[in-house]
Order: sequence, then C-alpha cells, then structure tokens
Amino acid sequence: MTGPAITIDDVVVSYRPYTDRNPTLKRALAQRRLRSSVTVTALDQVSFSVEKGEAFGVIGANGAGKSTLLRVLAGTLKPDEGSVHVDGHISPLLALGLGFNRQLSGLRNIYLGGLAGGLRRAEIDQKVDSIVTYSGIGDAVFRPVKTYSSGMFARLAFSVAMAMEPDILLLDEVLAVGDREFHDQSMETMQALLARSGTIVFVSHALAQVKSFCDRALWLEQGEVRALGPAEDVVAAYEAAGGRRRKQ
Amino acid sequence: MNKIGGPRSQPQSRSYLAALWHRREFAIALAFGNLKARHAATSLGIVWWVLNPLLFGAVYFLVFGLIFGGARRSVDYLPYLLSGLFAFNYTTASMTGAVNSILSNDKLLVNLQFPRLILPLAALVEAAVGFMASMVAYYVIVAPTLGVYPTLQTLMLPAIFVLHTGFNLGLAAVAARLVIPFRDVKNLIPIAVRLWFYLSPVLWPIAFLDNIPHAMQLVVKANPIFPLLVLYRSALVGAPIEVENLAFATVWAVVLGTVGVILFVRHEDQIARYL
Repeated sequence: MTGPAITIDDVVVSYRPYTDRNPTLKRALAQRRLRSSVTVTALDQVSFSVEKGEAFGVIGANGAGKSTLLRVLAGTLKPDEGSVHVDGHISPLLALGLGFNRQLSGLRNIYLGGLAGGLRRAEIDQKVDSIVTYSGIGDAVFRPVKTYSSGMFARLAFSVAMAMEPDILLLDEVLAVGDREFHDQSMETMQALLARSGTIVFVSHALAQVKSFCDRALWLEQGEVRALGPAEDVVAAYEAAGGRRRKQ
Repeated sequence: MNKIGGPRSQPQSRSYLAALWHRREFAIALAFGNLKARHAATSLGIVWWVLNPLLFGAVYFLVFGLIFGGARRSVDYLPYLLSGLFAFNYTTASMTGAVNSILSNDKLLVNLQFPRLILPLAALVEAAVGFMASMVAYYVIVAPTLGVYPTLQTLMLPAIFVLHTGFNLGLAAVAARLVIPFRDVKNLIPIAVRLWFYLSPVLWPIAFLDNIPHAMQLVVKANPIFPLLVLYRSALVGAPIEVENLAFATVWAVVLGTVGVILFVRHEDQIARYL
C-alpha cells in the first residue's frame, strides 16, 4: 500500500486551563462558568506527514507540545481544528503496561493488556506463549506483577505491545528501562517493524538516539513547528539553538 | 484510510454500540481482574465475596434490628433488611465503582482510544457480580436458617435484576460523567448515597408510611429506587408483586439508563482534556 501512514494538517489544540489544577464544583458555581478565559495553545497549526517504513523523531523542550501531539495521534485527544489521518493499526507505547493490574499475575496481565490494546481473547490465546518467550521473564509470569523489577515489568509490557503487531508505534521515551540485552532485542524488533513498512514515531530527549535511529525529525517549540526535515539537520539545529540559549 | 479525528466528531450511535460490543471481552476482563485483585492478598480469597455482604448485613441487623428494636416489631425483619440492603448496595457499588473506574484508569484514557463507556460498564459488571454473590449468601445461608424459601414471585428475580441493572447503568454513567470535570463528586457521592439510603425503605418497614401525611407519602414514593426495593421484597420475601411498581421500575430503568448513557457518550471526547 502506498501513501503516508500519518498525515496531520493544521492541527490546533488549545486548552482553557482552570485557574487551579483541579476544577471544583464550588468554583464553577461561583464563576457561573466552567473554564477560565485564558487559552493555552498546545499545538498551533502543526502539519506533517510520516511515510510508511519511516522512523520519525519528535524533539523539543518540556512543554513544547510533544505529549499532546502523541495523544492526538493516538486518537485520545480530538484537535480543535485541522485533521488527522492515520492509515493502519496504531499502538501507543506512551506508557508501558496499559491496562495492567499489578495485583494480578503476569499471565493475566498479558490478557488484560492485550484486550486493552484491542486484541480478541482468542488471538491472545494463540500469542501468549510467544509473548512469554519474547519477554524472557520465564516462570515469573505466574507471579503477581507487583513483585516484578522495573526491568521485568518493561519487558513484559513491551512484549505485549509488540504482540499487537502494530503498523504504527508511538514511543514516548519508554526504552530507557530494561537491561542491555532487552534494549538490543527491542531495537531489533523495531528495525523489523520498519522493514515491513511499519512506522515509528519516537519522542525523546536522547538526541543521539533520535539522530541515529530516525530518518526525519520534527522540532516543536511552544506548540509550533520550528523545524522539520532530516533527523541529523533538525537535531543539529536544536542543539545549536540550545547552546545559544545556554550562553545567554 | 482511517480518519481518527476531525474537529469534535460525535460518535454515531450505531457504530458506537458496535464498537462497545467489539470490546466486550475487555470490559469483562477489567471487571473480573478487579474482582480477583480485590481479595488477591487475603487468606480467605473468594469466600469474601459471600462473607462481605453477610457481615455487612449482620452489623445492620445488630444495630437496627436488635438495638433499635426493628426485629421486635416484625419477625421478618432480617430477610426484609437484607433484601433491601443487598439491592441498595448494588446501586451504591455501581456508582462508586464507575467513578473510580474513570479516576484510576487515567493512563488508559490518555493513551488508548476505545469507547469510554467500557469503564463504567466494567464497574457495573463488577457490582453485579458482587450483588449475585450476596444473593447466593441470602439463599444458601440466610433463607434456610430463617425458613424463607423461594416462592413463585422469586421467578421474577431475573426480570427485576435486569431493570435494576438498567437503573444502575444510568446512575453509573452520570456519576462517571460528572466526576471528570468535578472531582468533588467523588467526595459527594458517599454522602448523597447515605442520605438516599435513609430516605429509602431499607431499614424502615414500608408500613411506616401509614403514619405520615399523604403528601409526604407521595414524596417518599417518588424516590426512583422505591419501586425496585418493593419488587425485591416481593421476590425475596414472598409478598405479591404489584403491577404498579413493575411499571414505575421499568420507566425509571429505561429513562435513567438512556439519559445517563447519552450524557456520558456525548462528553467522552473531552475526557482526555481533563486528565
């Protein structure tokens, strides 16, 4: 199939934040309205497309709108303006272990995580052995997940996410966990995903990783596209700007 | 090409129901995962499902049956109390469960796209299983010791349960809808429910109504859960079933269920903005 995996056009997301962190009934009644009039634009007229088989990096300072962008791509946040087109099954790895219940065994969590991600129970029945093998956690799969080390948790969660055979993978700085062996294994899996025309959107502060792993990159600054192009150029520009700022 | 977002796309009702049905296994896995996790670390485990409502009932019987003398006025006080208590508890558990399902699954809501109604529905399934366990406790332990046996009216129990579930679905959806912008709802619900509990015929016998003015009687009977509680008494204790109560219970179940679900679904696009 041809055509881009992701196309977003002129996407605008603005929040009208509450004056405090949590809205309260009292304030709503007192003010006779639910939201403050201040608008924060998290994404402002953002447009780009990502081709199939491409690894696409997103960089930018904290609060630049990277997480908002991933939520828009994952479909959990509807943009106020603009359009989002996604071609293929999308698997967000924004947080590892989605749907997991730490009180329950690894095995039960394979089912919970798989069902949360959209698999059917029968599909998981077929995949469960390979998930356990891939994760390399062995008999620990029968123990409650709360007894796992953070590395074991990441291994299991990543294995469940990959079992969904996503066409598009959204990664938000999740591969920092796990040991060397697991890191290499997951990199291999992602290369395989790219090789079969899968797409990866990779949000990271690890600039070296973005430069080596991604084909193209997007630099977001305060919700606006500051640069878009080959990963090396965008990272270089970002580093240069960061360096300038530090000198001031 | 799969369009996942234009400006404020409203879900189509039929495709929404189809998406819900497609994800039914997820709802059930969530519900049973929570049920299993709740007693996972206890030594009695699954026994708690039956033991919990029994102990709960015992406390109320001690206070309102023995200390305040409800049992002296009526020999049937215990089955009367338990049937009302277990039924009311199903409603309470649905509402608090739905609120918690939204608040505790914030990661899921932010990261994954799925019909949001799954979460309150899973809470409803969880509450329904708990209610069924209390019915088992009632029929296996309480009823035989007290000499209360299933009657012809007991055959109505599944129908009453279905109406009650529709009723609870509506309340659960409304509670889940409100807690998203207003976290205060989590604190208000237990208090509101407690007031509602005392105004409903759970602890006090319906015969009490004869002592109050007619206008007040109408107000008390306008309580949406009133017909359901009376129906449960008929099914569990054996009083005749009144068509009037069946009609009112049906109307409340349909109206609350529909309105609650519509209110929730119309707002679900906005949930991620509040988390």
